[in-house]
Amino acid sequence: MQDYIEGIKIAYSGATTTLLISGVAVVLGLVLGLIVALCRTSNVKVLRGIASVYVDVLRGTPLVVQALILYMGLPMLLQSNGIMFTWDTPVIASIIACGVNSSAYVGEIIRSGLQAIDKGQSEAARSLGMSHGQTMKLVVIPQAVKIIIPALGNEFVTLIKETAILSVISVTDITRASMLWASSTFVYFPAYFGTAFVYLTLTIPLSKIMNYVERRMSTDVKS
Amino acid sequence: MLRVKDLHKSFGDNEVLKGIDENIEKGEVVCVIGPSGSGKSTFLRCLNLLEEPTSGEVYLDDEKINDPNVDINKVRQRLGMVFQNFNLFPHKTVTENITMAPINVLKMSQADAVKRAHELLEMVGLADKADEYPKSLSGGQQQRVAIARALAMEPEAMLFDEPTSALDPEMVGDVLEVMKNLAAEGMTMVIVTHEMGFAREVADRVVFMDGGYLVEEGTPEEIFDNPKEERVKDFLSKVLNV
Repeated sequence: MQDYIEGIKIAYSGATTTLLISGVAVVLGLVLGLIVALCRTSNVKVLRGIASVYVDVLRGTPLVVQALILYMGLPMLLQSNGIMFTWDTPVIASIIACGVNSSAYVGEIIRSGLQAIDKGQSEAARSLGMSHGQTMKLVVIPQAVKIIIPALGNEFVTLIKETAILSVISVTDITRASMLWASSTFVYFPAYFGTAFVYLTLTIPLSKIMNYVERRMSTDVKS
Repeated sequence: MLRVKDLHKSFGDNEVLKGIDENIEKGEVVCVIGPSGSGKSTFLRCLNLLEEPTSGEVYLDDEKINDPNVDINKVRQRLGMVFQNFNLFPHKTVTENITMAPINVLKMSQADAVKRAHELLEMVGLADKADEYPKSLSGGQQQRVAIARALAMEPEAMLFDEPTSALDPEMVGDVLEVMKNLAAEGMTMVIVTHEMGFAREVADRVVFMDGGYLVEEGTPEEIFDNPKEERVKDFLSKVLNV
């Protein structure tokens, strides 16, 4: 029993790092994702092309590989070109890797949310003389948000779990804290039981909150 | 007042309008009839540039409006449009649907816009629905709100794109009644419709379209009682003798 409690405590010691990385990454992902979505739905062909390649590459390669390229690969590439660069902490690299990775998914969530709104809605607004901007702000986005927010919540939950992979670039998050303790004490089951337990204490409340938000929004008006 | 010259519109390889010339006078009520896929709706949507013509010219009064230098939002303020599927904003109340454009586009005060909205709702017989959301209204009621919403911009002409086609039969009458009143007040109207009885009763002029061409036009009597073109006769015999 003592081992289990200790295992949970150890895992919790990494929770701040996990939350820091996933929290900042989700904001970064949201900002970049919004830009991706705008490019994907733009009238400019080049922007659409770039955004589409960006999404394909980031969704088509594993997050762990992206993190390795960024954390291990990039400094070497820069150094071989005469630019001295090292990461002060793997946390920064992790945030960037997760944020950029997430932005591809968030971009698609936002794009599909915007495109889910019936074309007749913007036609009606435009036919009243409203500008494209007014139409987006007053008609399309308020309706799209109801589709986008629940999906973004799921993305945040996914991100929290995915950060576990960052232990390979030596970020002392929940998973790595447990791994370090397990390999020095050999109490593997209590250690990783603690890891799972701590992830659940983060993801379950978050899922419940998202369910609540989703319910609130769907009881709202929808024709 | 509204005039098109040699209007062409293609979607990809599919040419939907193959050269339309038409002139709609101020105060005139023009009904556009014809089989499905004849280009009626596309023609109507070109009048306020919801569809960009592939070639040809569209004039509102004497201004050419399919021109990159024209502020299309200004043009659309002068042309109200009513859609087959109503397209009310589901996240706004009936009143908010009507006041949105006057407040944001015309910069009307909230109080004035609401007052005007209530007058319009009175006119379309829905004063008691002011604070409802669209989803709690029947199709016919939604369409009447849509008409009120378009009228709130005080347009010089109204475009109707099959306004009763998505309605249950018992709802059609109320909507047509509102449109009749509007016509009687002298509103310039272009109506794409399958309601032949309505077209005959209200239209000053009936335009028959088929296959992207304007096949025949004339007074309702000319078109319905004495059509010259074979295609018009054929179409009318199908829709009228059911």
